[in-house]
Amino acid sequence: MENIVLGIGITALAGALAAVAGAAEDTESNIGSQGDPNSQVQLAPQMGYIHRIFNKAVAGEPPAYGLWCALGAGLTWAFLAMQLNAVLAIVLGCAITIFVQGVYATTAYLGRTASLAKFGQPVYIDILKSMTSVTMAHAFVAVFCTVTICYLMNSALGHPFPLPILGFIWGIALGAAGSATGNPYYGKERQYQNQKFGAGVPIAASGNIVRYAEAGVRNSLDNGWFTAKLGGAASGLCFGFIVFLELWRTVLFEKVGAGWGAIVVGILIILVFMVVDRFIEVWARKTYGPYTKPEEA
Amino acid sequence: MTVKVEVVEGGVPHSKVMIVGLILTIVCIYLTYLNVLTKTELFSFFGGLAAVAALTWGSSTIKVLCSYGIGTGVPSAGMVSFGSGVIAMLFATKFGILSPIVAVVLAAVIGAILGYVANRVIAMKIPVMVKSLTELAMVGSLTLMGFTALITGSFNFSALIAPNTVLTITSAGLTATTSYLTSYIGGALIATVFLLGAIAVQHPFNACLGPNWTQDRMLMLAVECGFISMIVASLMSMPFVRIDAAIISLIVSIIGWYYTYAKYFELSKRDAAAWLDLSPIPEQEGH
Amino acid sequence: MSAIAGPKSSLSVEYNAVAIIVSLIILVLIIAATFMLGIPMALSALIGIIVGGVLIGFGVHFVPVGGAPAAMGQAPGIATGVAMLAGGAGLAGLFGGAWAASQGLVVATVTGAIGGGLMMAITCFFVNVIYVFGMGVPAASGKVKKDPITGDTQPEFKSQGTEGHGLPFVSFVGGVIGGIFGGGGGTLVYMMLLGLYTATLPKLMGSQSVANSVAILPIAVSLAGVFAIGIFLVNAVLAAYNITGTIEGPHDPKFKRFPRDIIASAVASGLCGFVAILIATSIGM
Repeated sequence: MENIVLGIGITALAGALAAVAGAAEDTESNIGSQGDPNSQVQLAPQMGYIHRIFNKAVAGEPPAYGLWCALGAGLTWAFLAMQLNAVLAIVLGCAITIFVQGVYATTAYLGRTASLAKFGQPVYIDILKSMTSVTMAHAFVAVFCTVTICYLMNSALGHPFPLPILGFIWGIALGAAGSATGNPYYGKERQYQNQKFGAGVPIAASGNIVRYAEAGVRNSLDNGWFTAKLGGAASGLCFGFIVFLELWRTVLFEKVGAGWGAIVVGILIILVFMVVDRFIEVWARKTYGPYTKPEEA
Repeated sequence: MTVKVEVVEGGVPHSKVMIVGLILTIVCIYLTYLNVLTKTELFSFFGGLAAVAALTWGSSTIKVLCSYGIGTGVPSAGMVSFGSGVIAMLFATKFGILSPIVAVVLAAVIGAILGYVANRVIAMKIPVMVKSLTELAMVGSLTLMGFTALITGSFNFSALIAPNTVLTITSAGLTATTSYLTSYIGGALIATVFLLGAIAVQHPFNACLGPNWTQDRMLMLAVECGFISMIVASLMSMPFVRIDAAIISLIVSIIGWYYTYAKYFELSKRDAAAWLDLSPIPEQEGH
Repeated sequence: MSAIAGPKSSLSVEYNAVAIIVSLIILVLIIAATFMLGIPMALSALIGIIVGGVLIGFGVHFVPVGGAPAAMGQAPGIATGVAMLAGGAGLAGLFGGAWAASQGLVVATVTGAIGGGLMMAITCFFVNVIYVFGMGVPAASGKVKKDPITGDTQPEFKSQGTEGHGLPFVSFVGGVIGGIFGGGGGTLVYMMLLGLYTATLPKLMGSQSVANSVAILPIAVSLAGVFAIGIFLVNAVLAAYNITGTIEGPHDPKFKRFPRDIIASAVASGLCGFVAILIATSIGM
């Protein structure tokens, strides 16, 4: 019984940490214009729209976060093997990882921007100075939370995988969840704030991203501030749910019916999400209505 | 990625980069064998240099491959490279002194078959597909072997799974326990090295693509990515090799990284349209 | 990936008969070579790895991914890369499956499958939440007139100048199925390698005692885990190449290309699995 209570406590903690990690990950990638919205930041100068947006495309978010979390976990593992205290090992491991992340971010911005010289996009050194540190801070929160989750899974819940593999797995899952949820909100609602709400960006408008703010030139910190309000929170909830429900169904129902309990509960959760999703879809169709008259068959 | 990739010619031809990269990598991996001959671990850092050389070669290969537009992102090429490379490399480590050669040959076979099915069965019809995936699998396995040699001081399977002795302070005093959990493979540090290499090999081209791509800037970035990976790999080597060997690796990698990073800044400054600090968006005609 | 016009998928799928035959011959040779190794379990492990690899490749075809245009609400699907989204789901499944490894092959594989499906269900759900409540657009497919599952009409919900947006219900279901196949396939590969390594590694390392085979377990777990991830990524990327990066789900015409990928995945996982099995033999050392 005590074991299950401890397990639930760890599960709740891991879920909460995952929510923080997801939110930080999405905000970080939006400040850096990482992931798919990056294509528009890259396209804009080619269409004649010179901008001052931070453009650090290290890779897609999943592989990049796979590396940051696996590296954080690997360094943590190495420090733990050197008999360092666990908290210290995690903090140190993540701090060194974030140094690597910062270096990658600067080289990505310089490379991409220098390769756009033909279109007159200048390199802004002040962007490097002011944005890199902010993305590093957000990435630290995301990586620290994820590595801590991995450490809890390995040492408290007894998962057989060693720390680096867990970092690999959950880093990629974090990037996948964060990019899937957060990208459209940044890509459509923020980059194309000048387009109509309640419609996708017409393909003809591609590249015409918003470059000016209420006062002066828009910078990427404004983007992080904007997307943190919905995209970041939703990404956090998404990754939080994934980690929490995955652990919860295993910890509570693993022993029921020789393992089949966790499976049945998993199927039930999938069905619940499916039903709610269908409800939202129908609600949206009714509320936003058809845009054009139905074609006669 | 939206940028239309244009094939830019000029600079060193890819075949030259490939041959130099392959030879340097193999030589550097074999230089770590000095560890065995001299019964020290001081020569581990050559493993990191081997990985740097292999990554540079790999980034050039990715440039050749991805110039054709493979339909999905550049990072996927790095994943295939290391996904097939890790299997070839771990099997090859069982062959003792012959390991690097076996790794090259085996990876080439796996890469060639993967390239064949991707190009013909999946009908991607990219002329360089077979050659590129062959090279990438070789790069993947050699990079992994280089970093493995850096971290453990050896490229021998038995050394990779050798348990470490860990001293723990318990209530009963200092106790020594040996566990396979603390070995290189048992702790799965290879998973971290896998991603370190997979990102480092795709990043140079992914970061430098665009109409003003220049070869020297991309290769400089490739060397930089190799050295930054080597820095963290040397930190991870601390539980495995003697501390002086780890510190030598760390110093070599920091010097290499700092030099290439500064050089990369210079090259970017050379290629950029303008190098501005705290200035607004320049006025352009027609907007 | 172009934001303006992606490569148009042709309706007919191209097959290269010679290449397919050559691939099948390679596959048969690999299976025969594994049989010749004479290790009990090796052949069944290889078959399991091939089945797992094919499941992974097949599953990727279900995952609705729109790439860069999806991030602008210009195309339906999830706005990220297909290989890595499938990777996130499949590896989350592998996490669950590996945890249940002690409960036997079937339970572990099904647990892994459900883990992958769960990850995709939650992700797809939040994608629709963002589209509906954050951007105010309903889901609309660009490739079909009617949702094959719910029968909802699609074209009149597309906003002007786009190919559709969001995840119609069929894409949602496709995502969950893709996650289930990916998670199950990844776990199957892992379980096969784990079973083989726990049986052969102690002997290989010269220790027969029970205590030692327990001590060696971390090596077996890590080797099997790393190889499962490697085989997973190779298969996912091959499948991503097959659909040229984006797909809407099982109703997309590109989905018909899956037989090509099944052959490619079988060869690729057979090859990687064979080398992974060789590690458990006394060749070398």
